Amino acid sequence: MIAAPEPLLSLRLSVDYPQKARVLRDVRLEIGQGEIVGLVGQSGSGKSTLALAILGLLEMKDGKAQGAIRFRGTDLLRLSEREMRTLRGSAIGLVLQSPLSSLNPALKIRTQLKEAWKAHRKGTRDECAGAIRNALASVSLPVEDEFQKRYPSQLSVGQAQRVLIAMAVLHRPALLVTDEATSALDVITQSEILALFARLKEESGMSILYISHDLPSVAGISHRTAILHEGEIVECAPTDQIFKRPSHPYTQRLIASLPEVPAGGTLPIVKTTAATR
Amino acid sequence: MPRKLACLVLALVTAASLAASWLAPAGYATQFREAPNAPPSRRHLLGTDQVGRDLFSRTLYGTRISLLLAPAAALVATTLAAGIGGVAGFLGGVPERVAMSLTNLFLSLPWLFLLITIRALLPLNASPLASVLATFLMLGLLGWAASARVLCAGARALRTSELLLQARALGLHGPRLFAVHVISNLKPVLYAQFWISIPTFILSEANLGILGLGVPEPMPSWGTLLKELEGVTSLTEQPWKLAPLLVLIVVVTSFQLALSRQEVPL
Repeated sequence: MIAAPEPLLSLRLSVDYPQKARVLRDVRLEIGQGEIVGLVGQSGSGKSTLALAILGLLEMKDGKAQGAIRFRGTDLLRLSEREMRTLRGSAIGLVLQSPLSSLNPALKIRTQLKEAWKAHRKGTRDECAGAIRNALASVSLPVEDEFQKRYPSQLSVGQAQRVLIAMAVLHRPALLVTDEATSALDVITQSEILALFARLKEESGMSILYISHDLPSVAGISHRTAILHEGEIVECAPTDQIFKRPSHPYTQRLIASLPEVPAGGTLPIVKTTAATR
Repeated sequence: MPRKLACLVLALVTAASLAASWLAPAGYATQFREAPNAPPSRRHLLGTDQVGRDLFSRTLYGTRISLLLAPAAALVATTLAAGIGGVAGFLGGVPERVAMSLTNLFLSLPWLFLLITIRALLPLNASPLASVLATFLMLGLLGWAASARVLCAGARALRTSELLLQARALGLHGPRLFAVHVISNLKPVLYAQFWISIPTFILSEANLGILGLGVPEPMPSWGTLLKELEGVTSLTEQPWKLAPLLVLIVVVTSFQLALSRQEVPL
């Protein structure tokens, strides 16, 4: 009998804030190697808190985590801040919702990519430039100097989001956490970014925790989907099952709230490449 | 338009003061003993002072000293403010509370008396150059507190921003994170605080000068030139003696007018 492979990330987590207790209540979630897991929930349900907890950045919001977050067999909650720093950006990447408020408006994108590279690598200027070009190419952005010398304000929102993704995947992390990474984008750019995530996953084998309140985008990219409601995961199942046979009443309400397209059909969910693992 | 005019005035005054060696008809300490308190003439454009020194020359040299050293003092003060206020706001918690208590203490001190006390502690036999440098260095070292509060507020707002969250998520931390992502975003505030400090230090030096604690004789500065007005019995009879005061007012006003754009974030 062959033992099941250990998941890349396995967590059992509760989180409190000083002003708000139990924002997350004994949340249990596993992400396998090369798997894309969607996390769906309303605003305030604790999605971003979960992302911050995985990256060990809850202290920025004065949050306190209890439980365990096992990443490659190591409990992240037991690591020191110094040890966590070596993982952030190199083994675990984060992409936030708004690229224009997440990128530094005062620095050229090359400088920001360079700083992200230097955070984990020591090497020559040529090695750094090569890594930056590779990262930009991997997210289908121009690699020319002219582009790298631009400031975030000189980019479209879609380009800025790709720069953010390029920074997050610069060191080829094993896990990419995307927190509402497509929510601020128009539908065309959103579908391009979703395709990009799926391609990055195919090329590098990275796992993705895709956090969103947007059900169609989650359906389009995730292998499994977890539904977060009032700090608890009420249902976690293969995406196809969640959308076709939701079992929890909250999930049923969520799915029922999806609008129908005017032609009388249903929304084009669960059909992109990522869902066929 | 007023801003452009103010910048033009500042550029002209600065250029004239830097070219004092060529423009001034005499050295700032050269005495024309045969002509004390002389009225304006072709030889002495603004007349002479009580000991026969050319007032136009002294105004030019005095302007140079004030316009070179006030920005240097402002640079010292702004650097200290960024180091104390900026770092405190970035760190938050206990370091922020301690730094802000220190800042409040500094702000509550009676400035003028403090300056007089510290200036009086400096050795009397120091050379004029050492004294002038010490005066402006003291202004810079004592003048950081107000700017520190502003920079602390700016850094505090950045501390919990998405920008720093993203940077931390990339693995950046500590002094590098502060230098790269905090300072770059505080630059507009730093420029504004630097710019605001210059006229403040010019006026502070003038205050000390009037009290005889500024730049020592025979070196001129706006403070020492204003002190010389003490000996003037009737300004209506000798209005040209007000020339240094007029230059001081024009320059300080120009700094304020030029500031309006500097305050706008980049």
